[in-house]
Amino acid sequence: MKNRSMTRRLIFSLTATLIVLWLIATTAGMIVMQDEFGEIFDGSLQATTERLTPLVVDDVLQNAQMPESLRQQSLSESTHKGYLTYQVRDATGKVILHSHDVSATPFVAPLKRGFFQDDFSRFYTVPAANNTIFVQVADSIAHRTEAAVEGGLALLLPVLVLIPVSIIGIWFIVRRSIEPVNDLREAIAGKDGGNLAPIELLTLPRELQPIVASVNRLLERLRSTLKAEREFTANSAHELRTPLAGALAQTQMLKSELRSQSSKARLALIEASLQRLIRLVEKLMQLARAEARIGTANETADLGKVLELVIEDFNRASGANERIQYSKGQAATLRRPVSEDAFAIVLRNLIENALIHGDQKTPVKIDLERGGTIRIANDGPVLSANELESIRHRFSRGKTMSPGSGLGLSIATELASQMGATLELKSPATNASTGFESILHFK
Amino acid sequence: MRVLLVEDDQTLGEAVRDHVASSHHAIDWMQTIDDATASVRVVEYGLILLDLRLPDGSGIDFLKTLRAKGDATPVIILTAHDQISDRIEGLNAGADDYLVKPFNLDELTARILAVTRRHSGNSTSVIKVGTLHINIADRSIFSGKDEIILSGREWAVLDKLLSRAGAIVSKPQIEEALYAFGWEVESNTVEVYISRLRKKLGREHVTTVRGVGYKIEGRS
Repeated sequence: MKNRSMTRRLIFSLTATLIVLWLIATTAGMIVMQDEFGEIFDGSLQATTERLTPLVVDDVLQNAQMPESLRQQSLSESTHKGYLTYQVRDATGKVILHSHDVSATPFVAPLKRGFFQDDFSRFYTVPAANNTIFVQVADSIAHRTEAAVEGGLALLLPVLVLIPVSIIGIWFIVRRSIEPVNDLREAIAGKDGGNLAPIELLTLPRELQPIVASVNRLLERLRSTLKAEREFTANSAHELRTPLAGALAQTQMLKSELRSQSSKARLALIEASLQRLIRLVEKLMQLARAEARIGTANETADLGKVLELVIEDFNRASGANERIQYSKGQAATLRRPVSEDAFAIVLRNLIENALIHGDQKTPVKIDLERGGTIRIANDGPVLSANELESIRHRFSRGKTMSPGSGLGLSIATELASQMGATLELKSPATNASTGFESILHFK
Repeated sequence: MRVLLVEDDQTLGEAVRDHVASSHHAIDWMQTIDDATASVRVVEYGLILLDLRLPDGSGIDFLKTLRAKGDATPVIILTAHDQISDRIEGLNAGADDYLVKPFNLDELTARILAVTRRHSGNSTSVIKVGTLHINIADRSIFSGKDEIILSGREWAVLDKLLSRAGAIVSKPQIEEALYAFGWEVESNTVEVYISRLRKKLGREHVTTVRGVGYKIEGRS
């Protein structure tokens, strides 16, 4: 189903409903107005006829001796063209008098008091002089229609002008009304594995409060689940490390106490296997932490300091043999809202990768640059594009014979992604014809 | 030097105890915070090896209490918590170093040496006393090209003197260093070992401050 815009739908529906209602109201108004106009015109027609009648009767009687042509001429002298026309007719229907803008042809209205209407006019007839004279005044239907149309237009035109104004008004109101929904949407969109803090939108309207409450309950459950998962991995690490530490320490003590060279050699193999097991457990624990999404954090951490601590660890460990060369760009700092532990795991894996797989006689160079970039480069054989891609995958170790689990780079890639950073793998290294370089870019 | 090991794991604890003892240090092994607290109350240790997760509490709390009392005994945390945030928390609580389990025993020796050296103000493991070159890392002493061999008890007395090189170390302090090894200490034992040290190292290197104690002049 196509996703529809709530705003557009609201604006369209409200505007359409408003227009339809306005049109119905206008139409009803026009009908009522036409009816009222009819009554007014009828009243006016009747009043005019009745006021005209005594005048006309008097005039007819006083001028009864005048030739007919003169009588009609005197009444027809006016050139004014009015809406009302009249005829004075005798009992036979013959027109005795008529207004100047009407022919002498008798009106179709019967000689009977009251209203009559044909397609063109509405008539009112008043009998006089004992029903010997009939005064008939006609009002043009066209005139009435014109008045009704003009009246209707007077109602409709403001409505037509108001429609675009009301669309703008509705759009503005809908946008303002929907703002809290947008705020809520953005607040929910901002939640991920590292930010599961409750949504605190105190200004949200009452209708949205239940949604916020539900989302917050869900976030709380997610927080508990992730916390439990993280605690489980941390506790598992502790529970696994302690017996391994005991086994390794006892093995090393035994090795120092043994005198037999063959037994010492055998014990050295056990110790080497233990060391491999320790490294594998370490990687699996890191993998479990990455799966528990430990990458993001709410608080900003000084990652430059963490980098220095990790390098110090490597430098103190006998394996590094002072091969690490660390340089920090002028005023280079790295502070980001990411987990220090996740960052340390990424660094350990990248540095360990460089120390194990790089040329053992050349240094591993680590640079912290301004703008949030860390480069870890080592000398060694060049890797093809396919190899660079494949070593990111779990348990993929490339063509190397060096010890390793094949998990380090996949863990680093996953955690870098969770931290909002990108991990670029490059071979040969920058400004070199050989070697390998890991570049961690922070946004 | 007398070392306090606070570790609840039997297998690891035994190995660390034996390894530290083999390096001519006296070691007391406690498996709970309560026992460790009681020990530091009555014994002056040269170093504490501290596990963080103990049956009756957190090693961090023990460390904080220790520091709050003004006890500056160097502490190395031995823990299975490998996260950098744990390490930062440990160092902030007053630890001098942090070693993640599993660790190599040689690594532990190196850390113990580095921490005690730092704590005593010596920047290197080789201390010069007159014409003597004393390497406290590999436990060797040379006078020119001639190597001088010391017994375990003689090393215990020399360690005590070197831990406060240039300052006076009292007779009871030296006696305590010898007691730590579980050795029998008679009323003249300290004088006997001081005499033996003078004989091997040279009379001029170990000075007696009458009625106060003994001192050795050394520099890194």
